[in-house]
Amino acid sequence: MQCIFYMIRKEFLQVFRDPHMIALLFVVPLVQLFLLAYTITTDVKHLTLGVVDYDRSVSSREVGRLFTNSDRFELVGYAESPRQVGDLMRAWQTQMALLIPAGFHRDLQRGLRPQLQIVVDGVDGNTAGVALGYAQQILTEYAQDIALQLQRLGTPPATHQLRLLERMWFNLDLDSKQFMVPGIVVVLLTIIPMMFASMGLVRERELGTLEQLMVTPLKRHQLLLGKIIPALILAYVEMILVMLVAVLSFGIKMNGSYLLLAFFSLLYLFTTIGLGIFISTWTQSQQQAMFFSWFVMVFMILMGGFFIPIENMPVLLRKLTYLNPMRYFMYILRDIFLKGSGLRYLWRDALILGLFGFSILGLGVAKFQKRVG
Amino acid sequence: MNAIEVRDLKKRFGHIEALRGMNFQVREGELYGLIGPDGAGKTTLMRIICTLVMPDAGEVRVKGLDVRQQRTKIRSLLGYMPQRFSLYPDLTVEQNLHFFAELFQVPEAERRARLEMLYHFSRLGPFKNRPAANLSGGMKQKLALSCALIHTPQVLVLDEPTFGVDPVSRQEFWEILHSVQKEGTTILVSTAYMDEADECDRVGLCFQGRIVAEDTPANLKRRFSYPLYRVRGSNLFRLQEFFRSIPTVHSIQMFGDVLHVSFTRQPRAADWQAWQTQTGGGLQEWKTEAPSIEDVFLEVLEEEK
Repeated sequence: MQCIFYMIRKEFLQVFRDPHMIALLFVVPLVQLFLLAYTITTDVKHLTLGVVDYDRSVSSREVGRLFTNSDRFELVGYAESPRQVGDLMRAWQTQMALLIPAGFHRDLQRGLRPQLQIVVDGVDGNTAGVALGYAQQILTEYAQDIALQLQRLGTPPATHQLRLLERMWFNLDLDSKQFMVPGIVVVLLTIIPMMFASMGLVRERELGTLEQLMVTPLKRHQLLLGKIIPALILAYVEMILVMLVAVLSFGIKMNGSYLLLAFFSLLYLFTTIGLGIFISTWTQSQQQAMFFSWFVMVFMILMGGFFIPIENMPVLLRKLTYLNPMRYFMYILRDIFLKGSGLRYLWRDALILGLFGFSILGLGVAKFQKRVG
Repeated sequence: MNAIEVRDLKKRFGHIEALRGMNFQVREGELYGLIGPDGAGKTTLMRIICTLVMPDAGEVRVKGLDVRQQRTKIRSLLGYMPQRFSLYPDLTVEQNLHFFAELFQVPEAERRARLEMLYHFSRLGPFKNRPAANLSGGMKQKLALSCALIHTPQVLVLDEPTFGVDPVSRQEFWEILHSVQKEGTTILVSTAYMDEADECDRVGLCFQGRIVAEDTPANLKRRFSYPLYRVRGSNLFRLQEFFRSIPTVHSIQMFGDVLHVSFTRQPRAADWQAWQTQTGGGLQEWKTEAPSIEDVFLEVLEEEK
């Protein structure tokens, strides 16, 4: 029993002796957090807008103003003709153009239904879709306002108005950080333990110290625990660090139970540490272990719903994601963070995650035992 | 009872037969040297003795304990120093020593005394806070030895411990081994340096997975019954060719810048003078030479072939 403690202490001595390791463990995650939280954003903001105004009236200016009132659109300028707008779009200077025909104001006042044209740069489909949604929202509201005004003036409304009230649940402002940061926690709990376990064990073999350890009374399971426990401790420390920063400086809301979070993380860590041990039995050098870990990690992230929504994948790939333990943990963590879900809703995923954890760790340990002999 | 007992030991790795029926015993308190070329099976043998590899056939006992059944017991009374330096380069000398003392569960009180003694032996005391990576080759070997000795093992197994170490450090290393032996430790050591065989009580010549000869260094050398000469000349290759044509020559071996030539019949002074003229002065110097272990070894190999 004591031997495990000595192993763990040795691991930490080595970690803290190595400045690269400290950087890898504490600086890189924070940089990752900052970069990913700000760059991987699905918020569509500051869309560049060009306006072609043939009407030059109070109403046409009003429409333009409504667009630039929010931080969603940014007016880059008025154009003289649709052709000019096309040029602007080709030069990447504007993403959306609003064409207001002559007589817009007049038709509006008469209660007719004037037409507006919106041209969106469709190169980035996602952004284009969102921009169009925003534009429709703004114009619908404007139309309703006008209708109300006309009603007050005694002109009957052209149609019966159906008013749509939008309400977002769980993430009121559609703030993508709230969605991304739990994902970053997942990625961290994947990469750090996997690399620590795989490279730590391969390093012992590379150095020949594994053999040296095997001639001591240290048992193989003690050796493994001496690697698994430090990996767990480090992973939790990382998680606490990243969450502190996320909550304190990014305003990330944690709606669920911390205990539940810790529990699910443990199940997931069994998986990633198990993978690390597995990789270590496959590889001869730290470089190989690093390469394999990256490969596994990239696969897990791409198929785990971190930034590629699983729902958008082709059927075959979507089915394949069920084999990816990260997929479950990603869902669970976002549920806990954003919805504050409890075990009542998550027990199925917990079961699957636990199954993954124990079988992968079990396989890794069995393979290691056999390999070291 | 012998400290190490090896009978009919066989081990194969795929197509390679590393050990083909090896037999030898190391007596209690003895310093036994294994000598042989690379691939002779020395390392495999040692790894089996240290319970790191399972034998295919045969019997191996360390202090009467079976390597198949009593691994844990064997490990606690055995010290092993592998061929390659294998300690933690990022830990200091002292941290390495402490770590292995802890794993071997050396009691705290005993540990301190043991450390003092090992520092004294190895003269590593002044460097105890230095990371192992920053030690010189000789010091690394001494640290590895110290780590293998930290739990006062009854049997010490060293796999080419002086490989790649400078001559002065090698000498020092052997002195340490002799003092360890005086403490009552049985030592099994392999080496590729033939001159180190003289430091051992008994030597086993290892070749193709067998012990082909075994005795004290003195007795081994006595086996070499042919008169041996150390010969110098202007062109060793031409000289070698020349001696091959002499019928009374038994063997010719090149050792650096000299030839060792042995004869089936003692040559006379007149013979040497005749040879000198025949080589046109290419033969410059000849002297009788006491056979070394290397001569014996090469001789035994010839017989084996």
